[in-house]
Amino acid sequence: MTIDRRTLLGAVPASLVLGLAPSRAAAQTQSFRIGALNPVTGAGSPYGTGMQRMILAAAEEVNAAGGAGGRRLEVFAEDSQTQPQAAVLAAKKLIEVNNVRAILGTWSSGVSLAVIPLTNDANIILMNTSGAPALSVPPANAKGLSYRFQATNDRFGRAFAEIAEREGFRRAATMAFNNASGIGNTQGFRRAWEAKGHRVVAEVVYEPNQPSYRAELQRILAARPDVIVMGSFLPDTTIILREWFQTGETNRWIIPGWAANPQLVQALGPQATEGIISVDTVSNEKAPSFAHYDAVYRRVMNQPGTSNVYAAMAWDMVITLALAMEAAGPNADVAAINEKIRFVANPPGEEVFTFAAGKAALARGKINYQGASSVLDFDQFGDVTPDFGVYFITNGQLVRRYVVAI
Amino acid sequence: MVFWIELLIAGLVSGLVIGLVALSITLVFGIARFPNASAGDIMTLGAYAALAGHAATGSLFAGGVAGAAAGAAASVAAYALVFRRLAGRSTVALLVASIGVAFVIRAGLALAFGHAQQVFQVPLVRPWRIEGVRVHPNDLRLAATAAASLAAVFVTLYLTPIGRRMRAVADDPSLARVSGISPVRVMVALWLVAGAACAIAGVILGLRTVVSPEMGWEMLLPGFAAAILGGIGNPAGAVVAGLILGIAQEMATPFVGFTYKIALAFVLMLLVLLVRPRGLFGRLEGVR
Repeated sequence: MTIDRRTLLGAVPASLVLGLAPSRAAAQTQSFRIGALNPVTGAGSPYGTGMQRMILAAAEEVNAAGGAGGRRLEVFAEDSQTQPQAAVLAAKKLIEVNNVRAILGTWSSGVSLAVIPLTNDANIILMNTSGAPALSVPPANAKGLSYRFQATNDRFGRAFAEIAEREGFRRAATMAFNNASGIGNTQGFRRAWEAKGHRVVAEVVYEPNQPSYRAELQRILAARPDVIVMGSFLPDTTIILREWFQTGETNRWIIPGWAANPQLVQALGPQATEGIISVDTVSNEKAPSFAHYDAVYRRVMNQPGTSNVYAAMAWDMVITLALAMEAAGPNADVAAINEKIRFVANPPGEEVFTFAAGKAALARGKINYQGASSVLDFDQFGDVTPDFGVYFITNGQLVRRYVVAI
Repeated sequence: MVFWIELLIAGLVSGLVIGLVALSITLVFGIARFPNASAGDIMTLGAYAALAGHAATGSLFAGGVAGAAAGAAASVAAYALVFRRLAGRSTVALLVASIGVAFVIRAGLALAFGHAQQVFQVPLVRPWRIEGVRVHPNDLRLAATAAASLAAVFVTLYLTPIGRRMRAVADDPSLARVSGISPVRVMVALWLVAGAACAIAGVILGLRTVVSPEMGWEMLLPGFAAAILGGIGNPAGAVVAGLILGIAQEMATPFVGFTYKIALAFVLMLLVLLVRPRGLFGRLEGVR
């Protein structure tokens, strides 16, 4: 038998249709695809790997419990590189090639703000850990498909102002990394601080990746502040604090927890970091859901769960989404699942702490998932209000002195 | 006044780093005749090698030497494995190849050391106060290192036989060849010098900031801006232009603000390209 060109050309599409189409259709009925878009590299790299591993682990747990709404979760993992351009490319690939129905775990406001137009256009859910106030409202969240598992930068700023007042500071100055998150922090602080009748004595917005921040520091130090409030990330904070320490000034610092963390102490040593006030949201540490997450995090990452608040948020994203899928029933579309997010996360309802318990309780009625990261009650904007832990760096250790609620 | 002097000092140190990178770029452009985009990542490699050297020996000097050696070795390896094979191809082919080399180095470093930032564990010291002006002992040391490295490059270029041959090749490759100058030896010397200069810039930058796989790539644009400003192919011009850029960026901040100080490098570069395409010191022939 001879195979001519026409037969061959005809056979190729036919085999594609016969061979691939059924399996693809089957896969779509059985699995619900989600994208894990996390900062594995770049400024968010201390957290990204843990976040991605927790999304995978939580999806495994959901699947082990028989799936959600009759479907298995299938995770496609990507690296946002903590850069908007890279994140947009990855999100496009997740949406158009992998056909995911939700993107989980974007970190850094620049990234989330760049990705959200894509998820909105595709009518899929975005769950982020970014702080920019703009993510709450239209146009970013016009469709109500975005959920924020971290406090807004504005809430961080308000917490900073509470702390600055409690510590008795008078002359506050601010330094912000030039992006939505950095500026969101310092503006939130400024509003709350001025509402308390104080004045910001100096403020600077600086660019990333500079060989030196001495000019910026000089401007701030010239106003003789007693505290400098930062909206910053780890690399720039490292450089700024090193230069500050070498000026010999003795003012205090209030820095968000993603910048003032153990890596910062390791980089600068205990002497230069002594007394820095590091503020971060605290996980829902007393809840059974946190204990459960903590055990998984220790197993997967070999570190305590408290070392990565974003991993707890990423864990909660999968559980919340899966519970909403379960509540929405078999083969529900994204809109129907989105309808059920507050139904499974907000009060009232039976308090549940794991996916398996939630799935069982959903058979009885409304539930209220208490997350590992916070109690996870979404307001009308899809924002949560966690409490803030206030850590003082003492002899190279981050010691939590108190918790602030706003 | 004190404020301005401190800005000037900060600018000088930044400028020396930019100048070293620009010198490396301009040497390669003058002699091998293509814009070398791997210069930034050779910097990064130098910084990581210095970190390793410093951790192993405890001596910053030994670390710096290890960094410079690693940068020189990687640079010669890139020549032997990639650029030499493409010799005679168009400038664009070589430019694209150098971007490829840059990616390979960066990805290799990220794989080996991870993306988390690393820092040189050196003691932080309080500044000296001279007439109210804060002067950092570390800055002086780094500036001296940069100046010494620059001097070494210029001594090599202008006072040694191999330097004379390098300049001859830059002037007229075919004439140099018929005069009996081996192009390979000149090229190896060029890549050694260019690699070491970049690596030293990387070590200095790493000491002042933090070491991460992307650090050098981000210095590439200021480096190119300075090379163009100084007159591409002109070594002294590159160094002077680096200093001008560094100082201008810092001194301009009270006027243009901190957000736009980076843009200043590009405004200067645009002006040069529009008004004086040869650059400040450029002659069309390049290195002599």
